[in-house]
Amino acid sequence: MVAGAISVHQVSKTFGDAHPLRALDGVAFEIPQGQFVSVLGPSGCGKSTLLRIIAGLIAPDAGGRVEVMGHAQRAPSDDVGVLFQTHNMLPWLTVEQNIRLAAEVRRLPQAEVRARVDQMLPVLRLDGFRTLYPHQLSGGMRQRAALGQILVLLPQVLLLDEPFGALDALTRDQLNVELLRLWQELRKTVLLITHSIAEAVFLSDRVLVMSDRPGRILEDVTIALPRPRDPQATKEHADFARYVVHLQKRMGVT
Amino acid sequence: MRWREIVEPAILLLVLALLWEKAVVIFGIKQYLLPPLSQVLDALWQNRAMILEQTWVTTVEILIGYFWAVVGGILLGLAIFAWPPVRRTLYPLIVLFQGLPKVALAPLFVVWFGYGLASKVLMAFLFAFFPVVVGTLGGLAGTPAHLIEHFRAIRASPMTTFLRLRIPAALPSIMDGCKTAMPLAVIGAVVGEFVGAENGLGHLILAANANARTDLMFAALIAISALAGVLYLLVELAANRIWWRAL
Repeated sequence: MVAGAISVHQVSKTFGDAHPLRALDGVAFEIPQGQFVSVLGPSGCGKSTLLRIIAGLIAPDAGGRVEVMGHAQRAPSDDVGVLFQTHNMLPWLTVEQNIRLAAEVRRLPQAEVRARVDQMLPVLRLDGFRTLYPHQLSGGMRQRAALGQILVLLPQVLLLDEPFGALDALTRDQLNVELLRLWQELRKTVLLITHSIAEAVFLSDRVLVMSDRPGRILEDVTIALPRPRDPQATKEHADFARYVVHLQKRMGVT
Repeated sequence: MRWREIVEPAILLLVLALLWEKAVVIFGIKQYLLPPLSQVLDALWQNRAMILEQTWVTTVEILIGYFWAVVGGILLGLAIFAWPPVRRTLYPLIVLFQGLPKVALAPLFVVWFGYGLASKVLMAFLFAFFPVVVGTLGGLAGTPAHLIEHFRAIRASPMTTFLRLRIPAALPSIMDGCKTAMPLAVIGAVVGEFVGAENGLGHLILAANANARTDLMFAALIAISALAGVLYLLVELAANRIWWRAL
């Protein structure tokens, strides 16, 4: 058994005092290092809250606990990179400057920053675009660059909150393939939040199904489709449709 | 596209100038009420050296007042944003003060600071600084929440977040404040000159008026609007360097 990358213990979250709103209710799961796990759930089920808690951006209610790479996660750490649906690019910086930003903020040595950025740009297929500004990029390129913004700190764990949700279906499919390639190359642990069942099945080793608010884990589905996955072959695999139908039932779609 | 932006307003200006010139003659308006434009332009040309000199006096007043309005306005905006006690105490007072007719203060400033430069600079400053405060505050408060969260996630210190995120994100709004402030600084300086001065375009207007030299008065008015136009253009050029405003 590989050491755990993310451990979530009895995490609940309630917002507001006068009219308390329970967003999460006793969420618990473990993700071993290197796994690709998706969290699937209806809108407003507390998926993003869960992700913010794992990132250390907000605290869970008393009693809940999150460990990332063996350390209690009470505040943001360099082990974790977070990417939200709205990209993190600063409009006044070029692609390269945007990717450097986090490394500069963390005060890494100049040579190290340069080495990491030079390594990152080809992997993200942004080599020819380093001097462009975000508004000059296509939506897909922008999200790839935004991924570079968090990868530059070499996090072990990537938390992705519907990172491609705002893009058209075609670009989204392409980026999912890119994401798989990156994941295979970089061997990171990925926790992806999505409400697309097909996307979750195609990408993941496991899919965690969340209930309506207050969010609980309803089921932990292991996706035993062969890897490496291919957009065509994987989706034609007999089990792919089986997983999709099962998850649809679980989420009450059919 | 570019030439139309120059030619079209020029045509309008020409039409209005012609209307002015002809209307005075057609309706037989007395010259001390409204001289024909040609006479105004003549007065402008005849007195060009003196008018240029007075324009320079006013320009200096405006620029010093505007400079401190921008510096002071940004600093005040920063302090109000960053420091809740200042927001609670000083900010309401400043807002209240804005409701005051600042013109009414001009005579007092003349008594306090004399007929020279200081009272005009102060008037220009008072007229101009508030939009800069508002622009700075609005820009700082409007930093996108997801970017602030991103800076938290990469563990940026509050100072780094301020310098690398909040300030650049606020710059377009700060520049808007500076643009609004420029014409106000012009008005402030001229109002200051109206109330008590020995020099400047405002003083020239009063002096010309007293001597029934309406043509010279209009010449001074043309000088003021030309000056205001040039100064605004300069601020506009500086503002265009903050190109991400349009995003």
